[in-house]
Amino acid sequence: MSEIVFEGVTRRFPLPRGGEFLAIDRIDLRIEEREFVAIVGPSGCGKTTLMRMAAGLDFPTDGRVLVGGKEVTGPGPERAVVFQQFALLPWKTVRENIGFGLMCKRTPKAEADAAIARYVELMGLSGHEDSFPHQLSGGMQQRVAIARAYVMQPAALLMDEPFGALDAQTRIVMQEELVRLARRNPRTVIFITHAVDEAIYLADRVVVMGRNPGRIIETIDIRPLREDGGWEAMPIEEVMDTPAFTHMRSRIWKLLKAREQERPAAPAPIPATVPAK
Amino acid sequence: MPTEARSSGWGFAVPRRAVVGLATVGGALLLWWLATSGLRLLNPLRLPSPQEVWAAFSQISTGQGYGGATLWQHALHSLWLVAKGFAVAVATGIPLGLLMGWSRRAEALINPIFLLLRPIPALAWIPLAIVWFGLGDTGKVFVIWLTAFVPSVINAFTGVRGVDPVLIAAARTQGASTAQVIRHVVVPGAMPMIFTGLRLSLQASWTTLVAAELVGAFFGLGRVLNVAGQDIFPGMILVGMAAVAACGAATTWLLGRAERRVVNWRPAV
Ligand SMILES: Nc1ncnc2c1ncn2[C@@H]1O[C@H](COP(=O)(O)OP(=O)(O)OP(=O)(O)O)[C@@H](O)[C@H]1O
Ligand SMILES: [Mg+2]
Repeated sequence: MSEIVFEGVTRRFPLPRGGEFLAIDRIDLRIEEREFVAIVGPSGCGKTTLMRMAAGLDFPTDGRVLVGGKEVTGPGPERAVVFQQFALLPWKTVRENIGFGLMCKRTPKAEADAAIARYVELMGLSGHEDSFPHQLSGGMQQRVAIARAYVMQPAALLMDEPFGALDAQTRIVMQEELVRLARRNPRTVIFITHAVDEAIYLADRVVVMGRNPGRIIETIDIRPLREDGGWEAMPIEEVMDTPAFTHMRSRIWKLLKAREQERPAAPAPIPATVPAK
Repeated sequence: MPTEARSSGWGFAVPRRAVVGLATVGGALLLWWLATSGLRLLNPLRLPSPQEVWAAFSQISTGQGYGGATLWQHALHSLWLVAKGFAVAVATGIPLGLLMGWSRRAEALINPIFLLLRPIPALAWIPLAIVWFGLGDTGKVFVIWLTAFVPSVINAFTGVRGVDPVLIAAARTQGASTAQVIRHVVVPGAMPMIFTGLRLSLQASWTTLVAAELVGAFFGLGRVLNVAGQDIFPGMILVGMAAVAACGAATTWLLGRAERRVVNWRPAV
């Protein structure tokens, strides 16, 4: 039971000089158990904030966030998070970082070691098990952060631009790998990305957000396209060349663009403020 | 974030720098010798010659020693007092700083007392320490503790407050308990700052110890300085000063080794 439900979720942040900034405005979104939802939207539209509320690291000012029918009161290992900033512990090695959650759960050592070894291998980190994060490239650090989330076998995966620091080739490999994992062992996924391609290729549904204030502009079901087009059996670059895919991509681009023209990025967050209560 | 150059990466610069350093020290010694006994430019009661210092060193190192003990006994006594005061300060200051950094409530509770005591220089406590504990070791350990305590607390506190909240959030999402967050995230994250505080504490501890021993002591390097001053024995004064410097450098070196072992995960800058 790990469906994630946002019910009329609003999040305001107090501004340093008084007043409030409306970051997220009345969002309703239901992510079914084992559904893969991608969120795209311009910088500052509240994607990370939304994800943090599902993770239990932040809480709505109004509305509710429910996971598995229960209101979220805090973080838990059944909802693994891949942070935009990686958030690896600099004083722990790759192995220790990947195994941190297992250690907290007191997983028996042999079992933990086997799981860590599997994900080290899968993420192409072999030979770097005993390196510290500062000795890795940005892309490798990101793969450690992903391995650390997968190794927990969480019911829900919350990923904030998990492929942002990867080079194009590694990115494609990881995308295909994520699809394989998602098919073999489906779980509830929130996947935040700036890359519209990636969202269409990976997700069951794509949620398009706009900013000032952060709202859902449209939610698009990709499943019919994938099933009709037989994407499952095709390599990623061929999928991205199909007319159905390119058509969907331009449709989402237009949504994002129209929204930005109608409401350009505010120089300061003044237009979205409301007086302090 | 204070960082200092590590010895790694110097490559071929090391022998060359050592040569230059030795040459400078040798030149200074020569100048000293010339100014004192070579050309007799200075009154030997103001600045003794190298030979006089060496004679003083020989005198204090052997037999009866000077000021009631040999140099080694004085030095060991001072080292032992610094070690005790420093250890007590670390054992009390770091946990307190960590607690104040972690809990706003603890900070609100403790900080006022701290703000009240902090402006009093540790040296100003010496008379009170003598009144309370006499001229023996306890009073000296007490003032060293006071000296080293403040930087330990402040740096542990600042270190905790500087830990990236995303790291704490990440640990929580992986199921870490509060105790696990503190042990695996907060303490290691504060460690570089804690060591900065310890270096300050250690230097200040030596200053305080020498001052306390100057005021009154039965043994110790400060006592050597005090007696030599009363005897108007400049050679012995210099021996005492050099011994204090050597002890301070030795303890700082030990602390640096400990730091490199504990904070082994940082990129060498
Ligand atoms: N703790 C906070 N305090 C004040 N304002 C905040 C806080 N967190 C987020 N915000 C504001 O809320 C808005 C949304 O932030 P969020 O990080 O969710 O954006 P995002 O969509 O993830 O952007 P990006 O794509 O750049 O990561 C931003 O305008 C940000 O300034
Ligand atoms: Mg973000």
